[in-house]
Amino acid sequence: MDYNTLINLGTELGCQLMASGAEISRVEDSILRLMHAYGAADAQVFAIPNCLFVCLTPDEGHPITRVCRIPAHGIDLDRLELCNALCRQLCQEIPDPAEALQQVAYIADHRPSYSGRAVLMGYFLVGAFFTPFFGGGLLDSLCGGLCGISIALSNRLLRRVTGSSPFFHTLLSATVSSLLAQLFVRVGIAYHADAITIGALMLLVPGVALTTAMREVMASDIVSGVTRMAESLLTATAIALGTGAALALGGLL
Amino acid sequence: MSELITLWLMPCLYAFLACAGFCLVFNIHGPGIAICGIGGALGWFVYLLSALFTPNQILCFLLSATVITLYSEIMARIRHCPVTSYLIIALLPLVPGGGIYNAMRFCAEGDMPMFLSTLVHTFGIAGALALGTVLGSSVMRILFPLIHRLHK
Repeated sequence: MDYNTLINLGTELGCQLMASGAEISRVEDSILRLMHAYGAADAQVFAIPNCLFVCLTPDEGHPITRVCRIPAHGIDLDRLELCNALCRQLCQEIPDPAEALQQVAYIADHRPSYSGRAVLMGYFLVGAFFTPFFGGGLLDSLCGGLCGISIALSNRLLRRVTGSSPFFHTLLSATVSSLLAQLFVRVGIAYHADAITIGALMLLVPGVALTTAMREVMASDIVSGVTRMAESLLTATAIALGTGAALALGGLL
Repeated sequence: MSELITLWLMPCLYAFLACAGFCLVFNIHGPGIAICGIGGALGWFVYLLSALFTPNQILCFLLSATVITLYSEIMARIRHCPVTSYLIIALLPLVPGGGIYNAMRFCAEGDMPMFLSTLVHTFGIAGALALGTVLGSSVMRILFPLIHRLHK
């Protein structure tokens, strides 16, 4: 068995899983199962939200370790499902590690994803339907959708200009969308600034981080759970600061 | 009848469509979109339903989060997919975005007592959601081995 290819296989699959937003226990579990299926019974895996360690000990020779840092990432549930399915398949069929590695790379390059426009449409839908959900009318809903799109666009622009700092992105996106909501009401197109702002803010709210955090604490991955909990608190603070700034600015105008 | 539509049907429909929108953002394809949307609508329906029986909002959120978790776990088992895909999107309509905003509004207006009480209430809701998911998954962890054994 070629342990070098095997450790690359495990690490690549784990990185793909992590970068698509899987929980820590799923990542560790998947890699361990894969390694056991290939006969590396003493494999060690350790993961925290932005780093992954895999260690194998061949029968002869030195133990080998690979460390992989996971950059800040979004959530891609389709890739998560594909990687999960691939892991199950690999554990059952046990193909040659090099071939399996190609399959993992294939998922990374060829997974189905929505076009930029479709994603913008998603942002519009979320804003447009959460606005009446929180008590807005028809015109409010349209403005809520536009505020949702403004969040997507400002997020993209900020990522290009300032690099990756999620806290800062969230703060500025929240400011932009709340200011836009107030502008719509001032101009007289919409009536409920509150409903529009909350509707668009649902795009930034740390629901995902909170849910994942709880699942990890439950799976007794306390380190990751606490990290994600802190992350969701930080995001909530950023949203609060951003809207607070927008409200204060709106009051001045 | 019109009350039935405006107070019950429409909010659930909005939750369904908003969750479908999130599926585009989080890259979910095919039947997953319907599953997430129905999960969101179901969660809000349970919330509205439980609000009839108790004035305690936090309890309603807890119940609703538990039901959503059970629903997503069942769907994930049926479709052999990770639970997270369905759970995180279906829970989103319950996340207290309004609470964060209202708290900040009171803060900007300088109304400290309202700011603090809204903030604590928001944390209460977030805690209820967290507890609800824990409760739902724990029930599933107990039930599934039993169902498996009965099947054999």
